[in-house]
Amino acid sequence: MSLSFLHPALLWGLAAAALPLAIHLFFRRRPKPTPFPAIDFILRARQETQRRLRLRKVLLFVARTALLAAAALAVARPRLVAPEAAAAVGPAGPAATAIVLDASASMQYRLGGRSLFEVARDDATEALAQLGSDEPATVVVCGGAAVPVAEPPSFDKAELRRRLREAAVTYGHADLTSCTGAAVRALAESAAGQAMRRKLVVATDLTAVAWRLDAPAPVVTTPAGPIRPEVTLLDAARGAELPNAWLSGFVADPDPAVGARGYRITATVNGLEPEPVKDAPLTLRVGSGKDQRVAVRAFAEIPATGSVKKTLAHDFAAGGPAVLSAALPADALAMDDTLVLTLDVPREVKALVVNGSPSPVKQRDEAFYVEAALAGPSSPARPTIVDAEGLGRVRFGDYDVVFLLNVRSLGAKAAELVQFVDSGGGLFMAMGDEVDPDRYEAEMKVLLPAPLHVVKTAAERGTPGAAARAARFAEVDWMHPALAVFTGPAREGLESVRTFRYMLLKPERKDAGARVLVRYDDGAPALVEARRGQGRVILYTSTVDREWSDWTIRTSFLPAMQRLAGYLSGALEERRDWPTPVYAPRILPVPGTAVPDTRVAAVVAPDGRERKVSAPEPGQDGVVSITPDIPGLWQVKVSENGKERPDPRLSFAVWPDLRESDTRRLEPSELTAWFGGASHARVAGDKPSGEGRQVPLWSWLLLVALAAFLTEGLLVS
Amino acid sequence: MAEHEKSLLDPEVLAKLATLRLRVRAVAEGVLNGLHKSPHHGQSVEFAEHKEYAPGDEIRHIDWKAYGKFDKYYVKRFEQETNLRAWMLVDASGSMGYRGDERRLSKLEYASALAGTLAYLLVRQQDAAGLAVFAGSVTRAVPPRAEPSHVNAILETLQGVRAGGETRLASAVDLLVERAHRRSGVFVFSDLMDADERVLRLVAELRRRKHEVTVFHVLDPAEIEFPFEEPTLFLSMEDSRSVEARGRDVRKGYLELLERWLEETRRVCAEADLEYVLARTDRPLDEVLVPFLARRERSAA
Repeated sequence: MSLSFLHPALLWGLAAAALPLAIHLFFRRRPKPTPFPAIDFILRARQETQRRLRLRKVLLFVARTALLAAAALAVARPRLVAPEAAAAVGPAGPAATAIVLDASASMQYRLGGRSLFEVARDDATEALAQLGSDEPATVVVCGGAAVPVAEPPSFDKAELRRRLREAAVTYGHADLTSCTGAAVRALAESAAGQAMRRKLVVATDLTAVAWRLDAPAPVVTTPAGPIRPEVTLLDAARGAELPNAWLSGFVADPDPAVGARGYRITATVNGLEPEPVKDAPLTLRVGSGKDQRVAVRAFAEIPATGSVKKTLAHDFAAGGPAVLSAALPADALAMDDTLVLTLDVPREVKALVVNGSPSPVKQRDEAFYVEAALAGPSSPARPTIVDAEGLGRVRFGDYDVVFLLNVRSLGAKAAELVQFVDSGGGLFMAMGDEVDPDRYEAEMKVLLPAPLHVVKTAAERGTPGAAARAARFAEVDWMHPALAVFTGPAREGLESVRTFRYMLLKPERKDAGARVLVRYDDGAPALVEARRGQGRVILYTSTVDREWSDWTIRTSFLPAMQRLAGYLSGALEERRDWPTPVYAPRILPVPGTAVPDTRVAAVVAPDGRERKVSAPEPGQDGVVSITPDIPGLWQVKVSENGKERPDPRLSFAVWPDLRESDTRRLEPSELTAWFGGASHARVAGDKPSGEGRQVPLWSWLLLVALAAFLTEGLLVS
Repeated sequence: MAEHEKSLLDPEVLAKLATLRLRVRAVAEGVLNGLHKSPHHGQSVEFAEHKEYAPGDEIRHIDWKAYGKFDKYYVKRFEQETNLRAWMLVDASGSMGYRGDERRLSKLEYASALAGTLAYLLVRQQDAAGLAVFAGSVTRAVPPRAEPSHVNAILETLQGVRAGGETRLASAVDLLVERAHRRSGVFVFSDLMDADERVLRLVAELRRRKHEVTVFHVLDPAEIEFPFEEPTLFLSMEDSRSVEARGRDVRKGYLELLERWLEETRRVCAEADLEYVLARTDRPLDEVLVPFLARRERSAA
């Protein structure tokens, strides 16, 4: 370290330090001779206090001298400069400098009341201020969506200062390896700096995720060959560790066990703390804005290093678009303590059950078991039972799904049913003694997944060995959304179904689009699905009472009926809206295509400000996109017939770049070694080992002067 | 009038009086006035005889026991004591020449005024008063006598004394051991700054020889309060020693040592049954003498 002065001319003031000595020598008062009788007492008193008085005298002299010397030195503004830094700015001449400012999300970390970004920006500004007027420089702000751009070094320091001043921290990731590479390339391509040394200053928090040390370190390509730049790392954290706890995952899956619109919500909490955190509050909120309310308050055990999953359950009161958010208590890095999720909660399914074979005995009634299954508390459907004779008073369009149970014929209503399915309705057909394949072929040919053929009897019910001879479900499409709930032992409930009689189907037409979900063990279809128009049709080739099959008394019947009702109504589809990472373009679909004049008017960011959306691309039916830059819930306003309104269905969640939550820091030596070792790179900072940075000594000197002044006053008094 | 008389007894006023005689007279008158005001008086007389009461006699002198025995009023008659011999030992060492303020008396002048006044009062009541002036040795001695003219001899001797030399109270004690064979009153006027720290033990020897010893410890206010602030070269008044010190630096230590010394002096006096009177030279002399004389009257009664 070497000492230099900002105002060396003012060092003449140091002469003032000699004043106490001069006063002592030239203005020393001669003691007045005074005869006194009790001189013995004075001699003894003086002997007792002589040592203390001499010490006090010396201290007083030192304090006065120090007061004047420290004040004079402080005015001269001394500073300590590391030898390397002194050498860099000294004999080797001017240097072209590239300053890289880390604006990644981890720089939002707050230490001592300031964010690391603010500290880094000040460091970068100071580094810029220390450059001479003959030293060109460039500034690279690294982070967010933008590809790092490094302009050639220029002498316009005012512009560079403005860029640093206007730089803002982002919620995205920073690839400092790329950014330093771009900065070094700019130095290499600089015409102004060809004859100069090349310096690279990086103001960062030294988090490991920002660097790819397996890539080669940047070098300046010159005609004489590649040379390493002189690198100075400005550690914004000043060597401090950066403990953090964050939410790294947040998913919601439908869970019928929770309720009709129940969800199992899993939050993944990561910890990077000195010690495990017990009972960290984890809050689950539902809704957004003023309607937001706390749904669940839970506690999580955050490990010191690693992650833990916390599963919560919530049953939504109503269907439709919903917003969930999970929050940990805000810590030093708050951006990753809250995650938002948007959901499309299934609406209530209105089911019309057409009973083709009503009976006064409940157990023999064709609709008894279906009604019981659909009316259960966890069922998404609300069934309405109607006899086949009373079908004329019913309008299919009022329902989401229609169950035809052993219905002989629909007659005039068949056309309406076809229209209902074509426009998106669901249809479930079960066979029975009443069903006439010819009539079905005549009335509902377009709806049937496959033409009905004849009834096959596998075994006569009640005869000896009938149970053994009965057909069983053999080939099941377990991946089908309606059947995917049967996993593990639950499949037994489906495989144990015994069917004594069932309808055979004619060979499927190639273009019928039928899909067999379940087959009997003889290969005959048991459950067949087909898409018709915008709707779906599922045909069950046996009965939903106990006449032809015992499925209705198996444990699989109730969940299967509920899932089939949901599937047919379209409520069961996987329409999970994955959150968008920050800075990833989000395509906004055009809502309500039925209304031609509907278009996206604006997007409201989580901070409440409206953002522009990209202009619709030609031929894309008005599809627009936006690149969100803030994590949180983004809401979309649509213009419908000239009126703007928020459309909750289009709201989407944006997550910060969670790579930045991993705040583990690199060993400075690791990074300096990557840049070429101590001869090329060094870490500046306030750490005791920190070489390099100038220490503002004048403030310490003023403190010394103040202390000397107080000491002097104390000694004199 | 009283104000005028009181002012006459002030040391600053006394200092302006040219001669010791004038000072002694001024002080003696003041002291006598003070004593007349006291209820205790007439103690220096002895019972002589009875006299039949006649109008004009003091009623308080009626002997009621005699009345009970003889059924007649008799009045007690007294005669004055004339057999007290008193020695004034006045310290005239160099340190006694100190005065902290030019307007005040020096310690020697103050001691001389005290000794002269006492001598005057003693002779006035027909006691014998003598004088011994000492420094390193007894320089002058006036044997005790009761004639009124003897006071002049004492005062003239005191008037001619000059401070100088070291203090050696033992020399005066030796003189008294040698000359005072009968029981006497001994009045020591000194600052007690003797080279021999056991000086009071020697004085106590006089008490063991049945003499009634009173020590007037004469000190200047500057010695008691040490008002010095600035750097000062203090010169010894009895030898060649000197010390340079800043007054405010050594004051605390000096005052502690002085206080310990005064305490020790009082304790030794009390143990040896010596009467101790601290005489500050800024105090009016009657304030020193009247309480002292009053105490003596009470003890005699």
